[in-house]
Amino acid sequence: MPSLTLLGQSVLGGIFVGSLYGLLGLGLSLSWGMLRQINLAHFALAFLGAYLTYQLAGVGGMNPLLTLVVIVPAFFVFGVCLHALLSRFAISPFNSLLVTFGLTVMIESLIQSLWTADYRRLDSAYSLMKFKVGSLYVPFPELLTLLLAILLSGATWAVLRYTDLGKAMRAAAEDGPIAAAFGVNERRLALLLSGFSAALAGVAGLCLALSYTLAPSQIYAWIGVVFAAVMIGGLGNPLGPLVAGVVIGVSEAVTMALTAPAWAPLVSFSLLILVLLTRARSI
Amino acid sequence: MLDVGAIRVAYGAATALWDVSIQVEAGELVSIVGPNGAGKTTLINAIAGLNRIASGRLDMDGVDLSRLPPHRFCDQGIAIVPEGRRLFTTMTVRENLELGGYRGAARAGRQAALDRVLAIFPILAGRLDAVAGTLSGGQQQMVAIGRALMAEPRLLLLDEPSLGLAPSIVLDMFAVIKRINQAGVAVLLVEQNVAMALEVAGRAYVLEEGRIAAEGAPQDLLAQPHIRRAYLGEHGA
Amino acid sequence: MRLPAPVWILGAGLLLATLPLLGLPAFYESFLYLVFYWVVLATSWNILSGYSGYFSFGHGAFFGAGMYTTVTLTASYDLPFLWSLPAAALVAALLGVGIGGVVFRLQRLRGELFALLTLAVTFVLATLILNTPIDGGPGVSLAAVPVPMLFTSLSSTFYILALALAVATLLIARGIYHAKLGTGLFAIDDDEDVAEVMGVPTFRYKLLAFAVSCGLAGIAGGIHAMFVSYVTVGETFSIMVPLTVVLMSVLGGSRHWLGPAVGATVITCLLYGFTAGNYPVAGRAAVGLILVVVILFLPSGVLGRLVPRRRPARPTTASPTTTAPAMVPPAVAAAEARGLPAAQEPLLELRSLSKAFKGVQAVAGIDLDVRRGEILGLVGPNGSGKSTTINLVSGHYHADGGQIRFEGRNLAGQPAHRMARAGIARTYQIPRPFAHLSVLQNVALPARFGRAGLDRAAAFDEAWYWLEFTGLAGKAEALPADLNLHQRKFLELARALASKPSLLLLDEVLSGLTPGEIDHAIRTIRQIRDLGATIVFVEHVMRAVMELTDRIVVLNYGRVIAEGRPDEVMGRDDVVTAYLGKAHA
Repeated sequence: MPSLTLLGQSVLGGIFVGSLYGLLGLGLSLSWGMLRQINLAHFALAFLGAYLTYQLAGVGGMNPLLTLVVIVPAFFVFGVCLHALLSRFAISPFNSLLVTFGLTVMIESLIQSLWTADYRRLDSAYSLMKFKVGSLYVPFPELLTLLLAILLSGATWAVLRYTDLGKAMRAAAEDGPIAAAFGVNERRLALLLSGFSAALAGVAGLCLALSYTLAPSQIYAWIGVVFAAVMIGGLGNPLGPLVAGVVIGVSEAVTMALTAPAWAPLVSFSLLILVLLTRARSI
Repeated sequence: MLDVGAIRVAYGAATALWDVSIQVEAGELVSIVGPNGAGKTTLINAIAGLNRIASGRLDMDGVDLSRLPPHRFCDQGIAIVPEGRRLFTTMTVRENLELGGYRGAARAGRQAALDRVLAIFPILAGRLDAVAGTLSGGQQQMVAIGRALMAEPRLLLLDEPSLGLAPSIVLDMFAVIKRINQAGVAVLLVEQNVAMALEVAGRAYVLEEGRIAAEGAPQDLLAQPHIRRAYLGEHGA
Repeated sequence: MRLPAPVWILGAGLLLATLPLLGLPAFYESFLYLVFYWVVLATSWNILSGYSGYFSFGHGAFFGAGMYTTVTLTASYDLPFLWSLPAAALVAALLGVGIGGVVFRLQRLRGELFALLTLAVTFVLATLILNTPIDGGPGVSLAAVPVPMLFTSLSSTFYILALALAVATLLIARGIYHAKLGTGLFAIDDDEDVAEVMGVPTFRYKLLAFAVSCGLAGIAGGIHAMFVSYVTVGETFSIMVPLTVVLMSVLGGSRHWLGPAVGATVITCLLYGFTAGNYPVAGRAAVGLILVVVILFLPSGVLGRLVPRRRPARPTTASPTTTAPAMVPPAVAAAEARGLPAAQEPLLELRSLSKAFKGVQAVAGIDLDVRRGEILGLVGPNGSGKSTTINLVSGHYHADGGQIRFEGRNLAGQPAHRMARAGIARTYQIPRPFAHLSVLQNVALPARFGRAGLDRAAAFDEAWYWLEFTGLAGKAEALPADLNLHQRKFLELARALASKPSLLLLDEVLSGLTPGEIDHAIRTIRQIRDLGATIVFVEHVMRAVMELTDRIVVLNYGRVIAEGRPDEVMGRDDVVTAYLGKAHA
């Protein structure tokens, strides 16, 4: 049995990892739930964002947080273009999965040709910064991830819940033609939402770059568990991925602390299977 | 006011409407009757911008609707109560009604419009924060009509408002439709309940297999034996 | 003369089997091994996923299960390598059956949800293997396991094994494609509910296809374990295996048995070409680009675009002029029981049948008899429970309570394909043809799977007969999308008739037809009745109800409110009120 401090540190680590699951899952959940597009390329995009942060901050010497000024608008435009392409061909959700897998492989190849397959690590003033709370250590990059995840998920939720824009988006997601009949410019909102999702990938990329070592092959390591968080959290629900992500992150961390690190994936994927089975039954 | 001239609508290879022409003047209540699959819903959806027309004229007060994107149709004063209601079932009643008044011109007067809708359907006042999908069929129909009224339309399109409702509620619903019309809103009504549709209408069209088969005052249409037999199910009349 | 495809496959296989005799460098054999390996994986995946539309992302799990079965049996239990292969197939197939047995019972778990679930299973299996002595973490080396020399060299041995498996897999995939199983799977892809109602045992078929698909992947895994000779969890259960397999099948065309093999060959050669030219990264990017382009511009794949659909020949027995029932199919003629004393005994008895949806009681305890040889009209306002009753009797929905006694047997709670085999057929109010099957294939399907249970040739003859009968013979080769509403309604009718039912449920076959078409349809329905079928007729067109029915049952709010001869029932005030909304002028 590990000590209480160790367990506490594990739980804290689980919360931090879970918040990154949530941040990665937020864009995925929005485009799946509201645009019916399963954007596998979201992960590759996040890694592209991470590498760009690495390049601008690590090599170019920019403040890592300032790289968002470049990355977020660029990714927004990418997301808009992606949706324009996918909606032009009116493809099914399943085919959107395949197309974006193709995109994933292309982005991965791009990353590999620009930055090689070697591991890269961003060294910045933030990487080693940490606070001590009681007997627990709180590293700054992870704390930043948690704060960004809470902020962005909460803001998305509030916009969708309380503003005319958000309500129009929800209406268009449920019945686009009828929403249009009441004056909602469905197409423009969809482009906006897709751009926003891609921009979220850019933000998640910053968090990846600050906390993790990067390699092109790592793109695939996140897919399974983030999909689990998205499914468990409920498609299109902006708070779902964060809550589910933290639940998964903490369960993984506790599992790792109590057994062996290699058992961790069992938790998220068993949860995903259970959620899929019960969801199918209840619909 | 509404001038539909020889429009054609096709789904892929199949043509659903062949050169259909109808007119609705300001303040009129016009019914369209006809069998299932005759193209009634296709016609009303084309007027609301839900279907694109392949050819023909679609004018509202001289504005050519066929050139507008779907989300601009409502700016011309058109609002629809679609077949099967098609509420935003995961949103609340209030949100559904607010969405009805989403268009720029209606947004400022939304509170007043909401009060008017609640005056017509007082029962909705207590259900404003309920999720629309949990309402009964009759209440959902009220929300659908209320949502369309929130857009402050000059022309209200109603597609099968009585579908799936109990007979007593159907009577109430038609009373409401009459009231709305008397308040100055033109109504274009598609209805399978032919007896009711002809009773409330000032004028009616019979649509058969994508074509207008007859047009005229309800009593004239009712006098035609072929229509009595086909739509009222009278045997040997 | 055209040789049949199995001869081609076997001939090509034998020809390729002589390749090691040429004494080529081992490198060529290894390259071709990889081609065959991917052909097997993609083709086996396609047997379930391509044919039935249940796209699995879990093929890596079954491939991996086979791999680790061979690893464990050879490295830990000293079983000879070749003997481990049947075990690998068995373990993978059992795993598939286990998963399918749970998942296929859930109606809604299709499309991306099925893909995700199977992917999750892959990772769960990987974690289990990684953390148990099966692997334990570092991977397992098979260097010490002897490989039998089937040929001159080790590389030739693997080459021959993979070739043999590829030939066998293609033969199996082609066999299933043309067999009853394949027909059923394609129908499941188009419309699973309708397939079940027409007599396809959907659950059993999906399970069988899954087992075959997984078993073949398992053998491929077993062979590949020995080929790579060092097996790790990370490589085996990577997400790349299922994604590559899906890519290959979609590229080649997943609705054709040969499509995945074409896709696998192209992709493997392409990747190899880039790798050999020292551009492996560009090769991957090219594969990604191809996937994007194919899905956007060629969604049915290369073969789906190039290969024309099969055209069964028109039989000589049915002449184009047969529209009157002069040529009665034997089964229907035998059932001609009208007028006999037995005709009054009920064919179908419903007893306190009920069904609710989300708390709304759609059918609230219906008691109803349908007598042999009669046309029973089922009428009532919208939402009165007519269609729900049809859906219950045809097995489309399961009743909450009550009995459905058909020819004395209670069928309530049985799967829909049992109802079809017992002799109940139906039409859908909104026609639901199988979109990717020709009109002829649409009609032949129930003849094969329904009560008649005909073989392939007889089913097509039967289909031709009913196409003539309904006047659709000229459209036999067309796809349902090319038909107008009237023709689709008659296609529904032809499909229902082709199963030679003893009870025919017609759900608003006349709605949307013009008066002239209605007259034609009424004559057709009379002819069907004269052939001996019993008909339950749901209809809004009152003229047809009055002209056609022997007896009428009126429903309102899910209950029977009146029953009797059409003219007397429709004259009753309460019926008029319920039906027309109010007493009309």
